[in-house]
Amino acid sequence: MTLFLASVGFGLVTASVLAIAAIGFTLQFGVTDVLNLAYGAVMIAGAFLAYVLNQAGLNVWLGLVVAVIVCSVGSVLLNAGVYAPFQRRGASPITMVIVSLGMTLIIEFGVQAIAGGTSVSYTMTQGPSVTADGLVLSTVQLVVIGLSLLVMAGTHVLLRYTRLGKAMRATAANKSLARNCGIRTARVIAITWAVTGGLCGLAGVVFAMDAGSFDATSTDLFLVLILAATFLGGPGQAYGAMLGAVVIGLATEVSAAYITPSYKYVFPFVALLVMLGVRPAGLLGERA
Amino acid sequence: MKFRVLLVAAALAAGAALTACSSSSSSSTTPLATAPVSAPATSSTGTSAASSTGTSAGASTGASPTGSPLTIADVAPFSGPDAALGPTYLASCYGATAAINAAGGVLGHPLTCKSVDTRGDPADAVPAVNQMFASTSGLALVIGCTSDEAASVAPVINAHKMAMFCMTGQSEFDSVHFPYFYRLVPPDLEESYAMVAIAQQLHYTKIALAFGNDIGSQTFIQPAIAALKKAGMTLTTNQTLDLHATTFRTEAEAIVQSHPDAIMTEALGAADPTLFQEIMQLNGGKIIPIIGTSAAISPDFFKSAAQAVGAATLAANFHADNLVTETSGPAYAAFSAALLAQQGKVPGATGNFTTYLSAPGGVHLYDGINLAALAMIKSGSTDPSVYSPDIIAIGNGTPGATVCYSFASCASDLKANQAIRYEGPGGPTNFDSFHDSTGIFQIDTYSASGAVNVAGNLSAAQLRALSG
Repeated sequence: MTLFLASVGFGLVTASVLAIAAIGFTLQFGVTDVLNLAYGAVMIAGAFLAYVLNQAGLNVWLGLVVAVIVCSVGSVLLNAGVYAPFQRRGASPITMVIVSLGMTLIIEFGVQAIAGGTSVSYTMTQGPSVTADGLVLSTVQLVVIGLSLLVMAGTHVLLRYTRLGKAMRATAANKSLARNCGIRTARVIAITWAVTGGLCGLAGVVFAMDAGSFDATSTDLFLVLILAATFLGGPGQAYGAMLGAVVIGLATEVSAAYITPSYKYVFPFVALLVMLGVRPAGLLGERA
Repeated sequence: MKFRVLLVAAALAAGAALTACSSSSSSSTTPLATAPVSAPATSSTGTSAASSTGTSAGASTGASPTGSPLTIADVAPFSGPDAALGPTYLASCYGATAAINAAGGVLGHPLTCKSVDTRGDPADAVPAVNQMFASTSGLALVIGCTSDEAASVAPVINAHKMAMFCMTGQSEFDSVHFPYFYRLVPPDLEESYAMVAIAQQLHYTKIALAFGNDIGSQTFIQPAIAALKKAGMTLTTNQTLDLHATTFRTEAEAIVQSHPDAIMTEALGAADPTLFQEIMQLNGGKIIPIIGTSAAISPDFFKSAAQAVGAATLAANFHADNLVTETSGPAYAAFSAALLAQQGKVPGATGNFTTYLSAPGGVHLYDGINLAALAMIKSGSTDPSVYSPDIIAIGNGTPGATVCYSFASCASDLKANQAIRYEGPGGPTNFDSFHDSTGIFQIDTYSASGAVNVAGNLSAAQLRALSG
């Protein structure tokens, strides 16, 4: 029972990091039509930027803010300089996936060339731990869970109660129709890149805080988890990504407690395959 | 329709990424190229000389070598979880070749070093090695080939009739004869016994195992379990760590709940530091004592682990087995001078450079390069098929041979037509019929600054008591 509670607690932390990343990823995909596989690479670039600032003496939380801003700007530039030109030339979705894979390698190996191949850690304290039966969570982990809840609530408010959110949903649903209704879809897409890029930077730094020790290739497997959460919930569905992240996060950690840990990523993917067999569009159905 | 296309694309991409994750140390799907590094050679005239012949009389004059350069390839992981291994060997290569070149080179040829990144994965290692053979002129020796890739690349290198000094403990090399394969490190099972012997010496009785899911780390587990049983110790839990995972909280919790006295581990890259940090968090801020393998004696490992749990905490709670190496005397003096002269010049080498003086790869590959270079001089050829047998002759010596301790002094003796026995900082060499030469073990610890201290020795009798 204790181990079960502990693994549930760990699953919630994993789910929180995953949710921040998956919300940004799925919004980006839903609105821009780009399945940006370089998302994980941008995350780790943000994590390393915060690390560099942290090593220079800056508080890691301030580093997080800088990483959010830089990743936001970087994502806008990534779209403007790479993805948008391909889309303008009518590149197919498969082509865009290949382009984003290429960008993954360029960014990731660029980070590795600069930062080296060894793993690093932020200089920060985890703070006092909160213990309840088997559940042990550090202050930083609680903050990560809180940030995740904040992002989820913020996303809900953005999509439901703001003009920008409505425009994003309209663009995601049907770009041509949205444009004909007077929505400046190009601007909406640019803002989406900025918002989701910021979420990507946030996800990168909290991912690195959570991992404790990270290197340039640390998000390789995490990207697959992001994809799993996204497709479990339904691609393009922000709420689906939240749900998917919770399911994947909990399944990963709870299965590690009772099945051999080397297969802890197998169980969630078996669940994903079964679910996709039953509901190919994901838990929350078609795109909004 | 568009949704379906994107779904398929995403599935393909996820599959590609997952494949990359599981089969490669980094996410790249491209085969890794060989990456030349700046070489310490003093000159590089001429074009190519895959092999050349000469007389021992002209072997080592102390003058700058003017022949075409000979290349020593460091075939090892430079990226991925085991990325710290490649630079360790490269540091050794830089040190050895600089000293050799300063002593006149080999048969008039300067030596250079080249890194070949295997990413710690056979799937990347084999094409990288094939590319190395296709693109490297003057290749004279291969070093590295760790347990991550040795099983797949050693046969390839052997088929090319290229001498290699490998840093693998895999037991298959205990009994399979590859004529061009040489090893100065012990089989993994002996290192497993050494870890258990350390636990005995420290009076631990309950042990948890936490090894990475890579080939090199997994080979320790069964011998360790057998040795623990033989020693009458309790195995509290055996956790396998996925080196691509980003947290090991559940594994750490399982370890903490099993209440071990110590943890035996080898999970390189970010895995071990992350595990240590999570164990501390889940164990009320206290780390459980750790017994590592010799691979943990590297500046990169210390830097990462110290960042994760604090240098003082790591220093107080970490032991590792390591082969006994010299810490004084003429061989050590030559070695330390050669290696420390390369500080700041070796790509990828970070952290406390003096740790390389104790790192198994740093010491034993330095010896391997010297043995090969001296064999070239003795045989008068840089062709491995010609010089390879002389590695044994110089390492094991012959009756009446003069013991020498550095390349310069040994080359000078060879020039004087004396029979020699090279004895480097790794101690005396005794190659068996499978070209394996293993020494005895010591117990290493770290100081808070990352310097390596010898905390004790393990006798052959101690290891025998835990074997088979």
